[in-house]
Amino acid sequence: MADTIDVTGADAVKTAPAPGPGRRPGSGFARYLASKLAAAAVSFLATLVIGFVLFSLMPADPVQSITRGRPTSDAQMAELRRQLGLDQSVPERFFHFVTDTLSGHLGDSWEFQQPVGSLIGDRLWPTLLLMGSATLISVALGLWLGVRSGWRHGSWLDRIATGASLTLWSVPTFWLGMILLITFSVGIGPFPGFLPAGGMSDPAITGGPDHVLDVAKHLVLPCLTMVLVVFAQYVAVMRSSIIDELGSPYLLTARAKGLRDDDVRRRHAVPNALLPSVTMIFMHLGTVLGGAITVETVYSWPGLGQLSYQALKVPDLPLLQGTFIVFSASVILMNLLADVIYRFLDPRVRAQ
Amino acid sequence: MTTFTPLRRSGRKAVALATSLLIGTAAAVAVAPAASADDGGKTLRMPITSIGIDSLNPFLAYFAGSLDVFAGIYPALNTVEQDGTAKPYLADSWTTSDDKLTWTFKIHKGLKWSDGKPITAEDAAWTFNLIMTNSTAATANGSLVANFASVTAPDDTTLVVRTKKPQATMLAVSVPASGIPIVPKHIWEAHVKDLKNYKNDSFPVVGYGPWTLTDYKPEQYAKYDANKEFVLGAPKYDHMIQQAFKNTDAAVAALRSGQLDYVSGLNPVQYKALKGQSGIKAYETVGNRWSGIELNGGARTRDGKKIGTGHPALGDVKVREALARAIDRATIVKKVRDNFAKVGASYLPPSLPQFAWEPSDAEKFDYDPAKANSVLDAAGYKKGSDGIRVDPKSKRKLEFRLGIHSDDDADAKVSTYLAGWFKEIGVGVDIQSMSSAKLNADLAKGDWDILMDSWSTGPDPTYLLGIQTCAALPDAKGEGGSTDSFFCDKEYDDLFLRQQSAFDETERADLLRQMQAILYKANENIMIYNANGLSAYRTDKVNGILTGSADASGAYPPQPSLAQYLNAAPTAASSSSGGTSGTVIGVSAAVVLVLAAGGVFVMRRRSSSDDRE
Repeated sequence: MADTIDVTGADAVKTAPAPGPGRRPGSGFARYLASKLAAAAVSFLATLVIGFVLFSLMPADPVQSITRGRPTSDAQMAELRRQLGLDQSVPERFFHFVTDTLSGHLGDSWEFQQPVGSLIGDRLWPTLLLMGSATLISVALGLWLGVRSGWRHGSWLDRIATGASLTLWSVPTFWLGMILLITFSVGIGPFPGFLPAGGMSDPAITGGPDHVLDVAKHLVLPCLTMVLVVFAQYVAVMRSSIIDELGSPYLLTARAKGLRDDDVRRRHAVPNALLPSVTMIFMHLGTVLGGAITVETVYSWPGLGQLSYQALKVPDLPLLQGTFIVFSASVILMNLLADVIYRFLDPRVRAQ
Repeated sequence: MTTFTPLRRSGRKAVALATSLLIGTAAAVAVAPAASADDGGKTLRMPITSIGIDSLNPFLAYFAGSLDVFAGIYPALNTVEQDGTAKPYLADSWTTSDDKLTWTFKIHKGLKWSDGKPITAEDAAWTFNLIMTNSTAATANGSLVANFASVTAPDDTTLVVRTKKPQATMLAVSVPASGIPIVPKHIWEAHVKDLKNYKNDSFPVVGYGPWTLTDYKPEQYAKYDANKEFVLGAPKYDHMIQQAFKNTDAAVAALRSGQLDYVSGLNPVQYKALKGQSGIKAYETVGNRWSGIELNGGARTRDGKKIGTGHPALGDVKVREALARAIDRATIVKKVRDNFAKVGASYLPPSLPQFAWEPSDAEKFDYDPAKANSVLDAAGYKKGSDGIRVDPKSKRKLEFRLGIHSDDDADAKVSTYLAGWFKEIGVGVDIQSMSSAKLNADLAKGDWDILMDSWSTGPDPTYLLGIQTCAALPDAKGEGGSTDSFFCDKEYDDLFLRQQSAFDETERADLLRQMQAILYKANENIMIYNANGLSAYRTDKVNGILTGSADASGAYPPQPSLAQYLNAAPTAASSSSGGTSGTVIGVSAAVVLVLAAGGVFVMRRRSSSDDRE
């Protein structure tokens, strides 16, 4: 057994004694959940403040950026500043920001002149589609390879898997994206390209199954790029966890029972080795919403990463704050989930 | 993979099967021929201008992508050629009164909005009046009607505009893309109250132009149907699709793979790669922008109060002259732009030949480091032991901050050259790379020494010249103002006022030349080069997208989008998809993958515990 486990957040897991007699596990769980929820709420409020302070301190004149290159008179600029609420004091703006956020309003974007909520809503689905599918595939591929590499570390499979995944892990994402884009959409030499060069769908194709196929086709390259770059993390963590378990007495026992090697691995080694990977999966799920700016830019994917980058350029403070809140909330939520699930997965956490 | 009950063998088979199926489907998807879903009509495929679309509401939108959309779906009073000649659009003709204060436009009879309602002079009058009286409606184009006293429509085909002062630029006020789009009164009347929040996204959008907007997804695409009744001639396509590409490399790939018919804004490397390709014509257009540096000659407010942290030595015209003489523009044109640019001199770019001005040999600040050094020596800036000169007045070293745009690789290259050349004349440079937002914010506060900058202009240069007037300086509180270098010169301002009411074209051109001469001598805006526009289109898919004829160096006049929409014609060749070889490769790859996966799976199953010991 591994002695310590990386748990997200600030929970250092100690091997504690088993729960004393007479404590009902149910009430213990309720208290545990309540404390975790409270911690999450505190984190969220802290994030709100930090977000506001960070973005308010950014030195910039958004009105100048927005109107640049268009004939705008002083009067127009002053009016725009008034409309954006730039004439209010910082405490005033902070008060409005907190009350608005807590009542579910994210304000109006300065550059797009429409509610931040609807802008984020528009981009949410593409981001989830791309990042969600990429995360699922990298987890499945990474864990599968990791388990097998660790189980027979030093074998040819291990060398190839580890070498290839680490090489890809160190490749710049945008570069790999460009290479794949040119290879598969333009074609190289005698091989013609057969995948689209960007966007999420072909606007000319509408309706039902054709559209779904078309989106899937547009998804192949960005998703592949993401997977190739990130799956190494899962391989590495899973592989080392499996290697940690290899010498354990309980595996010897399992073999002594005459179990086949595959069964020993699957039934005994993997469940124990999975814990660190679960932690990592949840950490990554938290960042799924943040999208991947580089991949979204290379493939012109209309996601949230793109949106926050655009907001940063102006800077479009309400939009930045909005995306910041959504990203932080998703990370906090996933950490909370991981904490809760851990309690079910690992008896040592229950024992705290 | 969060299940902890061990999978039964049947489960494993299912997983393996599912995996093979997934891979197979992916391969099938990848090679499925593109379904052609248009109704047999021809579709023109264009990119959305890289800066994108900020809003579909023409009273609010600032971004070039939006202005392009409006040029296709909302009418204007007239169009204007790059050489400044105005042509009819909604207005067939126009006359001015003797005192030059009243303009009368005759509106074309019998035109209809896309919903069938007639287009009248009242629509135009209502649009202008709304912008003149409603501060929200003035968000985007308020300054264009600032000199209007009244706009009326005495009857359906007559529009009368009275101005406060004579306005020579009247025919650039309502033009496609850079001017005011005219909207249907019967649609917009209901939205005046909530104009700020009106997104104008009920499709098809009621308008008039070469196209009708039928669908739009932010950051993805805009779809149009052609208006076959268009007054300036029907588009030769049935549909247009504009797609968003977030970087030019991807747009180039899309052009080569047939997703786009046209791309613009290429860099020299991309351009040269496309230049020799069959089925693609890559071409240059005359530059409509300047790229150069701005020197902070003394940032101040409109009432003369000094602001900011600029280096005092840059207030000395001799220092600025020396810097201008230390720049080898020809080398930059060659090394940074691969010769796809003109060496810069005049403030207005070469795309406006009617206002072209060139310094005479006597006036020219050519590259001459020896002369630059002697100018500084004569002005008393002695070199210290470290080779950097010292300002005798403030006792500060001549070390300047050079602000560059972090997202612009040309800035990075040019600034490196500048730093080297300035060092040769005893001037130190600290290159500071920052975001556009930060750069513009610092500029407005006067917290800078030298900045790299670039501006483009449409057919009417009024705004570009206006940002160099004293009126553009910030107010007493240091706010507002659209100044670009804190340039402020009485004589220049007088000329600027005079040209606004100079109705005679030769007279106005002469005034503009005098203004450019003043700017050139002051060296607060040093033009380094005018980059040529680099574009390409697929000759196997589209014809006639180019307007005008190339000049001696092979560069075409700048291409207005409206002209492209009207001239582009489909070729006989149809769109290509992946094709059979693509399918073969895809399918064989899928087969190999599935076989390999199956093979590995079987191999792993065979091994058992006794293999291990």
